[in-house]
Formats: sequence, C-alpha cells, structure tokens
Amino acid sequence: MTHQTHAYHMVNPSPWPLTGAFSALLLTSGLVMWFHYNSFTILYIGLLTNMLTMYQWWRDIVREGTYQGHHTPIVQKGLRYGMILFIVSEIFFFAGFFWAFYHSSLVPTHDLGGCWPPTGITPLNPLEVPLLNTSVLLASGVSITWAHHSLMEGKRNSMNQALLITIILGVYFTALQTSEYLETSFSISDGIYGSTFFMATGFHGLHVIIGTSFLTVCLLRQFKFHFTSKHHFGFEAAAWYWHFVDVVWLFLYVSIYWWGS
Amino acid sequence: GNFLSDTWRASSQEETESDSKVSQALVRSFSTSARSHLENRVAEKQKLFQADNDLPVHLKGGGTDNALYRLTMTLTLGGTAYCLYCLGWASFPHKK
Repeated sequence: MTHQTHAYHMVNPSPWPLTGAFSALLLTSGLVMWFHYNSFTILYIGLLTNMLTMYQWWRDIVREGTYQGHHTPIVQKGLRYGMILFIVSEIFFFAGFFWAFYHSSLVPTHDLGGCWPPTGITPLNPLEVPLLNTSVLLASGVSITWAHHSLMEGKRNSMNQALLITIILGVYFTALQTSEYLETSFSISDGIYGSTFFMATGFHGLHVIIGTSFLTVCLLRQFKFHFTSKHHFGFEAAAWYWHFVDVVWLFLYVSIYWWGS
Repeated sequence: GNFLSDTWRASSQEETESDSKVSQALVRSFSTSARSHLENRVAEKQKLFQADNDLPVHLKGGGTDNALYRLTMTLTLGGTAYCLYCLGWASFPHKK
C-alpha cells in the first residue's frame, strides 16, 4: 500500500523549474546581446523557453488540482498564502518607482527649473484619457466582483458574461494607454520626468497585460467547467491580482497624472 | 481521490441544479448534437490523470506532452550552450 496518509501535496518531479531558471539566463543574456551586439537570437530563444515553461508549469498545476484532486483545503491555504505574499512583493516593487517619483518631484532640482513638472515638459491632461482609464479599471473591478458572486451562486451564464466584460475592459485600458504613449510630447529619455513617468506607468501596463492574460486563462477554464461554486482558487487569485493592478493605477493617477501635473 | 469526488462532483451538480429550467432544457437538447465541446468533460480528464501508470504529471496527458517536453528541453539546453559560447566570445577583445 503506497498511498499517502496526510492531506498535503507531494508533487511529482518536474523539469520546469530547471527550464525556467535557464530561460531566465537566456532572457538576461539575450538582453545583453541585443543591447551591445545587435543580436536577437538568444533573446528569442529565452522568450520562447520562458513561455513554454510557464504554459507547461501552470498546465500541470491545473492537472494536479482539478484532475487529480491534490488541492485539499490545507493545500489551498498554502496557495492562498503564496499568492498573497507574491502580491506583497509586487507592492514593494512598485513602492520603489513611487519613491523615485516623489524623491524627484517633491524637491525639484535647479536644473529642472526648480518646479514640477520640469520646465519644458507638457504633461498629459489628467481629465482626459487618464480619467477614462481610471473609470475603465474601476468598472472592471465591479464586473469581476459580479463574476465572482455569480460563480459562487452557480449562475454560469452571468459568470461567463461578467468575466468576459472584465477582460474586454482590461484590453480597452491597454489600447487606450498605448494610444496615450504615442501621443505624449515627452519620451522616457526626457529627464527625470520621462524616466519616472514611463518606468512607473510602463510596469503598471505590463501588469495589466499579465492580469488580463490570467483572467483569460480563467475564462477558458470556466468554459471547460473547471470551477465549482465552492472551489475556484485560480479565479480568486486572478481577482486578487486584478484588484492590485487597479489600486496601483489609482496611486499612479493621483500621484503622477493629477498631483504631478 | 476521495476529496475530489466528495466536493467537485457534488458542487458541479449543485451548479446545474441552480440554473433556470430553460438552460437545463438547452443543456439536454445539446447533449446529442455536434456541440460536444460545450459539455462538461472534466470526468474524462480526471480518469486520464488518475490512471495507475506511474507517469509524472507533466507527461501523463499523452504523446503531445512528450513532444512539448522534448522541444522545451532542447531549446533550453541548446540555447544555454549557445549563450555560454556568446558570453565567452564577448569576454575577449575583438579588433574592429
């Protein structure tokens, strides 16, 4: 008799941590080869192996949870702690960019003209597309909550619609922000204003894309009946991440777009 | 195992029971049509991934798993070898 007598999950040996680690080497070395020697090969291989690793790693987690039943309550508790700690680490990541912004904008140096925005910089009007972007993300927070409640109440059609609306709003935000990026009169190399603006909003935009992708995976899993009204941690993790992305935007909007103009 | 059958099957039945009568009728009418990809096929997957064949989860889905694994590992190891060669090349001066 070889079956376990505890409720924890002893995972099968997996090659994905190794391929993931090497893909990180390829991504970083690939950037070096691109920046310094105008060569794209290693970067492309790095991106490909990274995507392949993520796809297969997360595919295996779905198999372990939904198909093999390994996600017992105690295992799920661990997954919850894990997601929370990951989001906390991302909060600290953004804290750095906000620190840089406030450091430079609260005490603007003489070479900027002693003012913020610096002399010569025309910031975006916070009441135009940035305000629309704020409403889009706030609305997506409402729709994802609707999706969650529909899921918990067993209302399949409502859940599908609400999650789809959330994803569409995420894509809409990304499209609007892309057009804004093309419209700015300043670039990332326009002094400390450009640097802080594009680093903070740029990484936020990347997180919107990641969050939208996570939500899309949830939609596909929902179509395949993976979630039940009582057990749907993948969706909850995506929802937590999405709310985090929304809150970061609110800080960005108030600090950089509104106060910073 | 037991945890899965206790919670998942019970909850999934609870889900369909709380649908309206209209959508229940729709589900029944589709079950013999060509739209089989809209049906709940999780039980089939559960059977596949719980088969007693000692395969690790990353290969347990069948032939495609193997192909994808081999592709990933080849690209990773090959890419790493090329990467180390490039880093070795970049470490030395080259006359322009």
